[in-house]
Amino acid sequence: AMELPPSHFPAARAAAVAMGYLRYLRGGPGRGLQLRELRSARRQDIDDVGHKYYLELELEDVLDKDRTVNCTAEVLYPLGSQSSAPDVQLTVQGELRSTEEADKEFYTRIRSLEKELVAENIPDSHGNIPPELEPIHLLAWAASGYVIWQNSTENTKFHLAQVKHVKQVKRSDEDLQFDYVVLLHEMVSQEVLPWQVTLLWHPQRGARVSQCQGPAPGD
Amino acid sequence: HQVLRVLPQNDEELQKVQELQELEHLQLDFWLAPRGLGLPVDIRVPFPSLQAVKAHLEAAGVSYSIMIEDVQALLDEERMEMLRSSRQLPLNTNTFNYEAYHTIDEIYNFMDMLVAENPNLVSKLEIGRSTENRPLYVLKFSTGGTKRPAVWIDTGIHSREWVTQASGVWFAKKIVEDHANNEGVASILETMDIFLEIVTNPDGFAYTQSTNRLWRKTRSKYSGNLCVGVDPNRNWDAGFGEAGASSSSCSETYHGPYANSEPEVKSIVDFVQSHGNIKAFVSIHSYSQLLLYPYGYTYTAVPDQQELHEVSAKAVAALSSLYGTQYKYGSIITTIYRASGGTIDWTYNQGIKYSFTFELRDTGRYGFLLPASQIVPTAEETWLALKVIMEHARDNMY
Repeated sequence: AMELPPSHFPAARAAAVAMGYLRYLRGGPGRGLQLRELRSARRQDIDDVGHKYYLELELEDVLDKDRTVNCTAEVLYPLGSQSSAPDVQLTVQGELRSTEEADKEFYTRIRSLEKELVAENIPDSHGNIPPELEPIHLLAWAASGYVIWQNSTENTKFHLAQVKHVKQVKRSDEDLQFDYVVLLHEMVSQEVLPWQVTLLWHPQRGARVSQCQGPAPGD
Repeated sequence: HQVLRVLPQNDEELQKVQELQELEHLQLDFWLAPRGLGLPVDIRVPFPSLQAVKAHLEAAGVSYSIMIEDVQALLDEERMEMLRSSRQLPLNTNTFNYEAYHTIDEIYNFMDMLVAENPNLVSKLEIGRSTENRPLYVLKFSTGGTKRPAVWIDTGIHSREWVTQASGVWFAKKIVEDHANNEGVASILETMDIFLEIVTNPDGFAYTQSTNRLWRKTRSKYSGNLCVGVDPNRNWDAGFGEAGASSSSCSETYHGPYANSEPEVKSIVDFVQSHGNIKAFVSIHSYSQLLLYPYGYTYTAVPDQQELHEVSAKAVAALSSLYGTQYKYGSIITTIYRASGGTIDWTYNQGIKYSFTFELRDTGRYGFLLPASQIVPTAEETWLALKVIMEHARDNMY
């Protein structure tokens, strides 16, 4: 495995995949994980398999920037195929701040809404996010984390540009459901593309993407 | 309103959909513009236009699906805010609100006020006109002399990168303040001029305010092209058309029909060449928190690589010293991606050794939609880095 400069793009792109996966796994209405620093990166080319990146990341929660948490990640981009998602393994060292209170509050608030929540353009053109929509934005980060993880290659780097539209769908079971249209910005092509993502969330069960549709036919 | 998804299957259908783009009175918002056959087109249709749009599509046999059902129209918060802030017209550059995003007219008004308040330091030059005939203005800051060695700074070449135009406005005021207080860049102005183009892509900027906040390119139309606009940072004559740009007009990195096809680019090329004494050239973008030097179009290192790398290290350290904002630095091709026809590759090849590009805040949390509250901190920290570059140019004259 060869050492990669953290300031060069191959390591940065692999880190973005790891972050997408992590946000999907551990993100929620009260937690938004962000990369504070990419400490080191190595790459290994595995014959007939693909390219594997070994990363050391320092993470922060956007809602709790005073502390950081370390994480190691392995990102394996499979050879050749554009249809197979990278495989990500990660280990978070230590505890993430508990969001139990905030999750419960959010869950209760949304469940008790008379009319289903609907919102557009988060953030708006000026970067504003009304405080009551911040958890919705963080859930969009989790949902787009899934899309980013599933659709990344060594030649892409995705970020959530904006939540174009979100609509809550009331369910008979205990999950909350949000139908999102998110705009993802891809850094290499500079394209901004809409993805429709249905996200289920529950305080104990966490976030799950149940449906996902991208701009290209067959996405 | 509803959001419709259309999948044009043949050229006739594609044309029908494109026709809709011309019908301005329908007030359609294309979330995904027509790009080609078999590629979806997403259109947000306001309620009063629904019947007309559906009739137009149905008459031509174009099938569509309803992506988002009727949703109550929400208050357009950002348009309200623009109205609110424009109602209180600033009387001078001291009452101007630097902590907000502004319209083109407000920025052009700001420039005129700055010149009027400081006629012995600041002048406004018109270096050309955009595709849609908007003036391309450059502010010149000079304490005298004839064609002194100069620094060039441009912001807003990619229109959706709003923190850059906003920072440009702040820089303009800062230069004037430093000069008045005889501190900061006042010493640089003793021997050098500063040129600042704040709204480098006014057509794109206007479009981000009227129609699509995430528009990047110019707004030029070339016959035979399916889509509008050229990436002004792929249109320069440095590795033009090579790997690192797209030949498709629908692409965000479309290089254009030929180098310097865009008046927004040509006007700067003409200015730089006729001035002949520019020593540092800085083109400002967002986002990613990077300081970059050439090349983007080739892996060959520039001859001055080591010096540019050292200046970058110093500039980034100065930037971080203010709020702890972390930047990475390096050549374009190693740090972000291969890009051909880029601004600073051309300026470097013209002999402007200190050619740099910034990618300002943030690293993706807000991206292009950076909260207005971060404008001033971003401008303040970036200014420290700019001063390092300007001072180095002044102290290493060539």
